[in-house]
Amino acid sequence: MKLALLALRNLARNRRRTAISLAVVATGTAALLLTAGFVAFSFEGLSEAMIHGGLGHLEIARQSATEGRTATLERSVADGLDDWQALQQQVEALPGVLAAAPTLHVAGMASTAAGRSAAFLGVAGDPVRERRMGFTVKVRQGVEMADAPPREGEDQVLLTQGLAQTLGVGPGDRMTLLAVDPDGMLNALDVTVAGLITTGVQELDTRYLRLHLHSAQRLLGTASASNLLVTLDRTSRTDEALHRLRGVLAGHQPPLAVVPWTERAPFYRQVRALYRGIFWFLGSIVFALVVLATSNTLAMAVMERVRELGTLRALGTSIGQVAGLVGLEALWLGLIGGVLGDLLGAALIVALNWLNISMAPPPGAVDPIELRVLFVPEAFVGTILLMLAVLALAAVGPVLRVARLRIVEALAHT
Amino acid sequence: MTTPPVFDARGLVKRYILGETTVEALRGVDLEVSAGEVLVVAGPSGSGKSTLLHLLGTLDEPDAGSLTLAGTATATMNERARTLFRRSRLGFVFQTFNLLPVLSAEENVELPLWLAGVGARERRERARAVLAEVGLEHRFGHRPDQLSGGERQRVAIARAIVHRPLAVLADEPTGNLDSETATEVMDLLMALNRSRETVVVVSTHDPALIARAPRRVVLRDGRIAADTRGAAA
Ligand SMILES: Nc1ncnc2c1ncn2[C@@H]1O[C@H](COP(=O)(O)OP(=O)(O)O)[C@@H](O)[C@H]1O
Ligand SMILES: [Mg+2]
Repeated sequence: MKLALLALRNLARNRRRTAISLAVVATGTAALLLTAGFVAFSFEGLSEAMIHGGLGHLEIARQSATEGRTATLERSVADGLDDWQALQQQVEALPGVLAAAPTLHVAGMASTAAGRSAAFLGVAGDPVRERRMGFTVKVRQGVEMADAPPREGEDQVLLTQGLAQTLGVGPGDRMTLLAVDPDGMLNALDVTVAGLITTGVQELDTRYLRLHLHSAQRLLGTASASNLLVTLDRTSRTDEALHRLRGVLAGHQPPLAVVPWTERAPFYRQVRALYRGIFWFLGSIVFALVVLATSNTLAMAVMERVRELGTLRALGTSIGQVAGLVGLEALWLGLIGGVLGDLLGAALIVALNWLNISMAPPPGAVDPIELRVLFVPEAFVGTILLMLAVLALAAVGPVLRVARLRIVEALAHT
Repeated sequence: MTTPPVFDARGLVKRYILGETTVEALRGVDLEVSAGEVLVVAGPSGSGKSTLLHLLGTLDEPDAGSLTLAGTATATMNERARTLFRRSRLGFVFQTFNLLPVLSAEENVELPLWLAGVGARERRERARAVLAEVGLEHRFGHRPDQLSGGERQRVAIARAIVHRPLAVLADEPTGNLDSETATEVMDLLMALNRSRETVVVVSTHDPALIARAPRRVVLRDGRIAADTRGAAA
């Protein structure tokens, strides 16, 4: 017979009270798991939306183009990659790389025959490559841009809805793009609006447009690209790929920079801090509630058993042993409650995901999203450890009480 | 070399402070108990019997006087030493039995052996042997709430002697039993003393039981009023 087993048997004495304590611990555990799963889902969803909305996992650009720049959609073409095709081949041969797509950034003025005009921020790319990379550009109205490089006079654009509204154009309408080329000359390109899109980011939706790489090169009179966007088969391999790429490209002239998406995503750090804050806030509340609820029942369990504990002391059980007995009861509650909570949490996660609940769009986003709660393996282990800590804290009072028990008084206790 | 007495109390004083008033539960008790003795501590309720047994059992400390246990002065023992002394050298029997309700009779009896670090097999064998000795060979697996009062006290006695202590201290062990069972329990305690030379100190105020004791210490108002040996007058 071990102290731990004796503690376990003591828990079975007042089944109702033990059941209530276990329910409290399990509910707290499950609540944390749901929170962790939802936070992970939100964060991952946001991350994937950014990555597949056009950030890619990694960006390769000239060192000089990235230094001190945070506006990652405005890499100047003067600082572009002349040998992007060779780089593309080299990078796409690496393991884990889905594709490397060139983009060309062009900022300028769009104007219509009706005399309306607006500043635009254009990102040009290769639609075939981008499809392979999993970039999703949802066309709200009209059609997608043609895959094949457009012939002269057949250039197309996809406009964000806000920009289309400012310009008063829609699918099928024609307009003119004006931009300054690397030599400082003002060039113009006539384009047709193929369709309307959204970036998912409200601020960007008033001036963003997309066009084919060839159209942008024609507009700017260049064969370069601003950068290469690299996507990987898995987001979790970003760091690994980052280091490999930096190694592979180390000797390149002019020097290149490899930038992970986390450095380019707008508000990445803030959003992560926000989600962490939410999680820790809820975690603290659960922690406090479970400590309050269980310390009370632990104290009751000790109070009811004062004479028994006094008897144990009289028989030569040490202070450490009787205190350990009470402490172990608490730890059992934490362990069993935590495991039950994990099971409950898993069941709730499955159930919630099965319900397909749709939610309001997250901050900055446009579309409503489907509620999903992820399984976060670390959280399943972490909550059990947390509950052990919670119960250890809740047991401090009762354990001290037991340690200070005066034997004669305890024996006289009724 | 003579063996020191198991209990050697000199001028034991114990006071309880209750707000303004101080109760002198023991007012200078001298008592010497040698190995193998059986004695009954008699006296009316409130005379200090429990207090004396608590002091003898190192469950409480005297306010004055000295107590030497098998040659060791309790004043030199710290909390840990007293705990270890109780664990290895003393056994306790209580009026309210005080068995652990979650343990079977056998497991309750094993408890002192477990505390002493005895292995599982030997624990079980010794516990069963002692339970058989007190007439409970058919009750090994019963929980206390499945036993009668007399049976519970037998389990408690088995628990008090299983680790072969120097002395068993029994404070009103028959107080919660009917007179027939009380006599049986008392006879059992004395029989145990005969078979293993264990000191037995029993407190009681039951005249029928006092009469059966080989030595009688009578307390009155915290003082020893009489200390007699041999058959009662
Ligand atoms: N914890 C205590 N606090 C105050 N007074 C006590 C306490 N324990 C015992 N007493 C008093 O000490 C005296 C002796 O008590 P006790 O040793 O229990 O006597 P007995 O066991 O012979 O009935 C009594 O007057 C009792 O009221
Ligand atoms: Mg008493």
